[in-house]
Amino acid sequence: MIDEGKPIFVQIAEQIEDDIIDGVYPAETQVPSTNEFAAFYRINPATAGKGVNLLVDDGILYKKRGIGMFVSDGARERLVAKRRDAFSDEYLRPLLAEAAKLGIGAEQLTRMIQTAADERPATPQIQTTPTASPSKGVSA
Amino acid sequence: MTIANPAPALIAAPALGRRVWRVVRLNLVNKWTVIWIPAMIMLFIGLVNWLIWWIIWAAAAPADRADAVDGTQWNGGAFYIFVYMLVVAVQVITGTFPFALGYSTTRRDFALGSGLTFLMLAAGYAVGFTLLSAIEEWTNGWGLGGHLFTSVYFDGESLGGRLFTVFATMLFFFAVGAFSAALFMRWRMNGILAAGAVFILLVVGAIALITLTQSWPAVGDWFAANGPFGVSAWLLLPTAVAAIAGYAVLGRATPRS
Amino acid sequence: MSAAPAPTSIAPAVQVSGLTKRFGSFTAIDDVSVTMKPGRIHGLLGRNGAGKTTLMQLITGQDFATQGDIHVFGEKPTENPRVLQNICFIKESQRYPEDFQPKHVLRSAPWFFENWDAEYAEQLVDEFRLPLNRRIKKLSRGQLSAIGVIVGLASRAPLTFFDEPYLGLDAVARQLFYDRLLEDFSEHPRTVVLSTHLIDEVANLLEHVIVIDQGRILMDEDAETLRTSATTVVGPRGAVDEFVRARDVLHRDGVGGLASVTVAGLSASDRSRAAAAGLELAPVSLQQLIVRRTDVRETGIEQTA
Repeated sequence: MIDEGKPIFVQIAEQIEDDIIDGVYPAETQVPSTNEFAAFYRINPATAGKGVNLLVDDGILYKKRGIGMFVSDGARERLVAKRRDAFSDEYLRPLLAEAAKLGIGAEQLTRMIQTAADERPATPQIQTTPTASPSKGVSA
Repeated sequence: MTIANPAPALIAAPALGRRVWRVVRLNLVNKWTVIWIPAMIMLFIGLVNWLIWWIIWAAAAPADRADAVDGTQWNGGAFYIFVYMLVVAVQVITGTFPFALGYSTTRRDFALGSGLTFLMLAAGYAVGFTLLSAIEEWTNGWGLGGHLFTSVYFDGESLGGRLFTVFATMLFFFAVGAFSAALFMRWRMNGILAAGAVFILLVVGAIALITLTQSWPAVGDWFAANGPFGVSAWLLLPTAVAAIAGYAVLGRATPRS
Repeated sequence: MSAAPAPTSIAPAVQVSGLTKRFGSFTAIDDVSVTMKPGRIHGLLGRNGAGKTTLMQLITGQDFATQGDIHVFGEKPTENPRVLQNICFIKESQRYPEDFQPKHVLRSAPWFFENWDAEYAEQLVDEFRLPLNRRIKKLSRGQLSAIGVIVGLASRAPLTFFDEPYLGLDAVARQLFYDRLLEDFSEHPRTVVLSTHLIDEVANLLEHVIVIDQGRILMDEDAETLRTSATTVVGPRGAVDEFVRARDVLHRDGVGGLASVTVAGLSASDRSRAAAAGLELAPVSLQQLIVRRTDVRETGIEQTA
């Protein structure tokens, strides 16, 4: 689950973001504590804390004193928007590069995308526990 | 949630008394080395001696019996008990020193605690020894007229005198053992060999000196004049020297072998 | 992205400067200077015989420095009960008194460690399956290590050193140790210094990495920084060479038309460029980083493509 490519705290933050987007943590619900993350991923608590702090700084999480960390209102929407902005860079460009390598033209590519989209289930599954949620694969 | 890397609250060191006492407790944790085994050895020596007396008593003609057993008053069996104190001291120091350092004790606390331990052990054994000597008198030599705890070396002393003699002598052997062990801790085999060589030279030198000045009679007189009580009182001096020297040597010893 | 830790005005737990230790003609520690901040897990990494144990023995006052200064919690540690009261040093070569059994160790430890948690110790004894009534001489290597681990964890000493305490522990027991360490460290923060040559196993636990080689400090950095300080670029030779041109190359490797070059740190934009160029980026583990650094020093020769 943790690979060495990106800094670990970034991966922790991204994993939490994934879970928020997937609906595992709806708005105003509590996320696990830093120590719980640290124990689960088997990493130093300070590193886990750094990851959580990233999200606090971005306004995705906020702290309720004496209780823990909670998901901010509108967090999911903001994350989705952020991901959409990054979608082109993260997924499209590599896709196009690979397609170019294989000699797949833009038209053919569009057709392939349409076919694959038709085959997908209607809505994404909502996982109930972080462990079950498939890690989106931390990209290198 | 801010990450506090809180400097963990520091613990204050307990007072010297408590620190020294916990070293004493550490030395006494495993009762076998310091209590049961020495006691068993003492018992064994006692038993062997008693058997020998019985043999003498049984072999002699009834009329000669008292005479025959009388010779046991020069019994040096008790001597081995004292020498074993030396062994105990070595075991305690070599065993506990690296371990106490592992428990983050200072060498000073260890030396003081071990010194106190030996004082307590010497006192305890001395009381036991004196009691046994009282019983020996009371049972008239364990029913056979034998002498182990009342051999001529303790003759004529009151119980209190005997107690002191035994205590001082045991302390002496503890000190010698502890000092040797401290030498070993600091300088390992080389230290022991060097100290042994020095000791032998000193002894031979002393013997040579006494012989050349024909002072052996004077030496004998001195022992006679002082008696067991006086001699053991004088032993306190080398005991103190050994203890202080041991403390100094241990001061820069390391647990590494 | 300000994930800054606590204010830097906190006094260091351990401060070593200009430390040298010689055994006769052999220099075990050579002009070492290092600082360890409190409340963190520090890794003291290096090959066998690099000087890890010696350094820890000097810091804990068990051995004496030839030259240099050591300060623990602001004071010199040697023969200092105020400092030593807060230290627990678990070493793999710990000698126990004759005929000692684990139960004697567990009985006597609380006298020396004020924060000792007897219940926790009992729980650990169960988990590590330590036989309490067997003579320590008769214990297996793993069980011997287990005693050390249990004392180190249950002592909750503000400064705890673990010197390769898991020799002989099987993989399950080692993982148990790491898990318990992390768990207890989270609940009862303290300063932990872990020495090992099994780098990859502990890499994610560490906050601060100190690499020592032949008595000298080779690396002294934040674990996060170190982890992202290098990346391996893999792809067709031409493309890779083009990409790594004018970059700090740490290591070259390859087979046939495939090249695998390790370079120092890549930014996010670099990563996108690489992806766009069809190159793959592979992580460099802490172990690889350290091995490469210690090897290069020895061979002095870099492989060229």
